Amino acid sequence: MTNNVKFQVHDLDLYYGDFQALKKINMEILKNQITAFIGPSGCGKSTFLKTINRMNDLVEGVRIDGQIHMDGIDIYKDIDVINLRSRVGMVFQQPNPFPMSIYDNVAYGPRIHGIKKKSQLDEIVEKSLRQAAIWDEVKDKLKKNAQAVSGGQQQRICIARTLAVEPEVILMDEPTSALDPISTLKIEDLAEELKDKYTIIIVTHNMQQASRISDKTAFFLHGEVVEYGETSQIFNNPKEQKTEDYITGRFG
Amino acid sequence: MIKDAIGKIALYVASSLSVMTLVIIIGFVFVKGLPGINFDFLTRQWQDKTTFVNVTLQNTEDTDLSDSYIPSIRAYVEHSEESFTIIKLKDGSSLEKAKNLKNETYEVKKKDMITKIDSTNVKDMSMEEFSEQMNSVASQGITRLKVTRPGGGIQPMLISTLYIILLSLAIAAPVGILSALYLTEYAKKGKILGVIQFAIQMLAGIPSIIYGLFGMLVFVQLLKMQYSILAGALTLSILLLPTIISTTSESLKAIPKGYRESSLGLGATKLQTNFRVVLPNALPGILVAIILSIGRIVGESAALIWTAGTIAQVPSALTGNTASAATLTTKLYQLLKEEGDVASACSIAVVIIVLIWILNLLSKWITKRFTVKE
Repeated sequence: MTNNVKFQVHDLDLYYGDFQALKKINMEILKNQITAFIGPSGCGKSTFLKTINRMNDLVEGVRIDGQIHMDGIDIYKDIDVINLRSRVGMVFQQPNPFPMSIYDNVAYGPRIHGIKKKSQLDEIVEKSLRQAAIWDEVKDKLKKNAQAVSGGQQQRICIARTLAVEPEVILMDEPTSALDPISTLKIEDLAEELKDKYTIIIVTHNMQQASRISDKTAFFLHGEVVEYGETSQIFNNPKEQKTEDYITGRFG
Repeated sequence: MIKDAIGKIALYVASSLSVMTLVIIIGFVFVKGLPGINFDFLTRQWQDKTTFVNVTLQNTEDTDLSDSYIPSIRAYVEHSEESFTIIKLKDGSSLEKAKNLKNETYEVKKKDMITKIDSTNVKDMSMEEFSEQMNSVASQGITRLKVTRPGGGIQPMLISTLYIILLSLAIAAPVGILSALYLTEYAKKGKILGVIQFAIQMLAGIPSIIYGLFGMLVFVQLLKMQYSILAGALTLSILLLPTIISTTSESLKAIPKGYRESSLGLGATKLQTNFRVVLPNALPGILVAIILSIGRIVGESAALIWTAGTIAQVPSALTGNTASAATLTTKLYQLLKEEGDVASACSIAVVIIVLIWILNLLSKWITKRFTVKE
């Protein structure tokens, strides 16, 4: 069973200056599953997501106590942050392709990691776009500016860009909150397809989304994990009163 | 009601006054200056250049019905005040292969003026006498002519201005852009950064004559560069740095945070992120900064007079005697101050105004081109 654990989080505290944003988080995240983080705005779910690939390092005045182990390795001590981020990719809330061609966007990651051969890049770009289920839509306009396509397509290009680095984990920070329902469904289908190969952690405001696609769900409130368990259990039979209040829409 | 009327009248008077002033100034400059602008003005040297050349005269029977044709040099000439001006050369004229006294080829061209044949002054000769004189010396083979190439053009100033633009930007652009990158992307926010930014703002407001003074003391005297384009360009690059740094910083700050985050999230280092994503996206802003800088250089006089000098020549070195050079603007200043030549000064002013105008259009075009993309 322990072999299935991708991340082991132990007593994680995070402070922005004097403000404690995360309080004693303990959690195990499993391989090849979709784990959803839900909770009201400002509850710390996005902050926690960003500690997993150390994007919080970029924020000034951040202090972190506790440990996160990935495959048994402490990601704050025993691994180079560049290496960590190429193993743990991230998709952001706003689709944010670089203002360059679709091809160059997807090839950006491989290029910075030293791949220069055209044939190899072509192969990676096609494979990644196919995996992100957007190849058929963009294969004829790879040289076109990635910002000239629709928001939903942009987000899938961003997913392809993340996949091109061949990560083990994909973090998604409210990936569909800026998209229309149809694009949202496409991204959700995509996430379910991708979980065979990747470990996916998704932060979402949309509870239907969490219940539709995730295997496990964690409910965050005021920087604490109130409840963490199988998604069906969280939504149908929550143990905590606060969880029930939130998912039934009484606050948040 | 009356208050309103007075207010309106004041507005109209003020705005028409300012528009009129501008129109009058530009109009004056163009009226005075435009007649002096022609192809010669743009392409000729500033000063007349007199050279003695040895020409092998051709003893030919080649004749032409025209009175103005001199067979021995296969050229048409025209009698002007004190000389004979060459108005046309036939193919194979020996004047094309004339040699100066150092025995280097000095090609005598159209519009050059012959003022002496050997030691005979042509000043008082008529066309027939000149023609005869040329034919009579033809038999002796090589003859020495005194040839004057007329000046009155601004070509050296155009070239010097271009040199100084290139040199200043070669120094200021990389330094300024990298400083801006450091200040916006790397420097820790705090007191020191505040002091640096304050200093940059202060520097932007210092009158250029003070930069000129500094340049003269440090580059010209202390570093012994003499009046030279390098001293001028170094002074100008200091003067340009604040503008380049602040304009570049602004465009760096305008780049969405998401670009940096996605790049870092893909495992790029900060340096890779800056050079592959951040800087390329700041390019339009940087280009505008550079164009504004060019405008500043073209218009600058105070910082250059005491660093690059006012000699109208094409500089042939970076430092030292032969490196001193006047730009268009410093020449204009010198013309007014020392020679009182208002007409030439206005002609130069027209050229400067047109250049600045083109640069402004260019920067507007770039801004428009890159900001309204989708």
